[in-house]
Amino acid sequence: MIVKDFEREFEALARAYERAGGDVSKFLDKRIASVIISGDRVIGLNGVEGVVLKPSKIESGVQVDMEIGAGVVLEHPVHVCTGFLEKKGYQRVIFNITLRRNAKAIFTAHCVFPWAEEFTHDALMNVRLEEGAWMEYHDEHMHSETGSINLITRSIADVGMGAFFRNTFTLVKTRVGKLKVFMEASLKEKAIAELFTKVKATKDDDVEVRETIKLDGEGARGLAKTNAVALDRAKVSVVNEMYGNSPNTRGHVECVEIAKGDGVEVSALPILIVKNDLSELTHEASIGRVNVKQLQTLMAKGLTEEEATELIIKGILT
Amino acid sequence: MLALVDVWYESDGKAILKNINMTFEPGKVYAILGTNGAGKSTLAYVIMGLEGYRPTRGRILLDGEDITDFPVTERAKRGITLMWQEPARFTGLKLKDYLTLGGKNKVSDEEIKRALEMVGLNPHLYLERLVDEKLSGGERKRVELASVILLKPKYVVLDEPDSGIDIMSVDMIDHVVEELAEKGSCVVLITHREEIALKADHSYLLCRGIVLKEGHPGEIVSFYKASCDKCDHPNEPTERVGEELRA
Repeated sequence: MIVKDFEREFEALARAYERAGGDVSKFLDKRIASVIISGDRVIGLNGVEGVVLKPSKIESGVQVDMEIGAGVVLEHPVHVCTGFLEKKGYQRVIFNITLRRNAKAIFTAHCVFPWAEEFTHDALMNVRLEEGAWMEYHDEHMHSETGSINLITRSIADVGMGAFFRNTFTLVKTRVGKLKVFMEASLKEKAIAELFTKVKATKDDDVEVRETIKLDGEGARGLAKTNAVALDRAKVSVVNEMYGNSPNTRGHVECVEIAKGDGVEVSALPILIVKNDLSELTHEASIGRVNVKQLQTLMAKGLTEEEATELIIKGILT
Repeated sequence: MLALVDVWYESDGKAILKNINMTFEPGKVYAILGTNGAGKSTLAYVIMGLEGYRPTRGRILLDGEDITDFPVTERAKRGITLMWQEPARFTGLKLKDYLTLGGKNKVSDEEIKRALEMVGLNPHLYLERLVDEKLSGGERKRVELASVILLKPKYVVLDEPDSGIDIMSVDMIDHVVEELAEKGSCVVLITHREEIALKADHSYLLCRGIVLKEGHPGEIVSFYKASCDKCDHPNEPTERVGEELRA
């Protein structure tokens, strides 16, 4: 639960967390596993049966090792809050997550940096899923409006035989700043992975997304998907990468990017590499202006061009 | 009343619509017949005022007001709408958001439920679905019809509402058209299907961008079946045929 000396810090973080769409009550519920990080300290921690959480201090940050026991199916999502309440600084966070055989867990993560100006957040998540495990990790970010945050988030997942991994990253409610999202998953036999990034970049935000799935085991399936909106002078560069390394593997990469504004720049690069002639990979991309037919469909119902654009963007980022 | 007066539309120097004169009255149903390439969908786009479909000549009048230069949104705000032959798909947009236009179309949950039921979609199964590629062509058409019902338009052009919908569902389209007309909407139906066209109050037959014939739907459908179905010069009306028909 909340470490006593940090109760006031938790309250400040909680307010920002709720603005980010999080539900603070989850951190006070003993039935729900949770981790709360502020700056370079773990200020709240709650383990439940079958879940082992081991925090440790690292240079400029925190490492938390999380393990879900074999066969453990968590009824409630694990709640993770990573915050930084200062204006300047550097924060490193490492999560090592292991799900033992046939375990099932969903993680709901919120990263809140409400007042950060000169700030770098460097996150690394190592995931290991044993045979038949199921894991979803949903990461939503809420930044300050300065646009000066530097964020690097990397995830490397080893998805075991017949295991399922879904990893989503969302940053659509605030300015982005500089963002690098790197997701990578290596799949064993009959494993499934879905990587999905949603970003809205405005002003001079600069976004780089790279999603990579390696279909190493026979019958593995993967989906790497990015939806992005770039407005004003923002830059968004997306690479979706899929490797069909084994027989009967199937993979799809998909990128939707809307660009609107003078000086905006978007790019999409699908990389499909097949190393086995029984592998099947596909890709789909749509980048540039808002689709005219979509716009006119909504305008023929009475929306202005701006309102129609807003609704189309809302769909893409939801 | 919506009127097209001596309307011409040209694209790349080629006349697609030639000297079109049509009038549409609220509460009535009109059928526009014609073979592929006759200019039916172009006519729909010109009425709606889509980008790139401004008449080259002529005027479009709505209750006496010249709306020829009005953009799509302005026409829609005055009660004109269009259902595309192949409606657009929207990534991530939920059906409920689409039907309510993100909250801009103030309709009750009860109205939404009823509109979906009218087009044969179960609200419990569809409201949370996305208006994207996962909907079949027929489902997407039904969603669009539900959207039209909720808009309560004064004038609606339905561009081949029956295409992509199974033959058993033609009754559903009839029912929707009837209800729209009963509530005072003018429905302009672009169709190939005889049984749908016959329900109209008045019909126009288009051939290569001209109104070849107009009148009672039974008469127009009979002519269409006798002449256009077996036509050996589709969309090339001879002067003789034109003169004969006009006489």
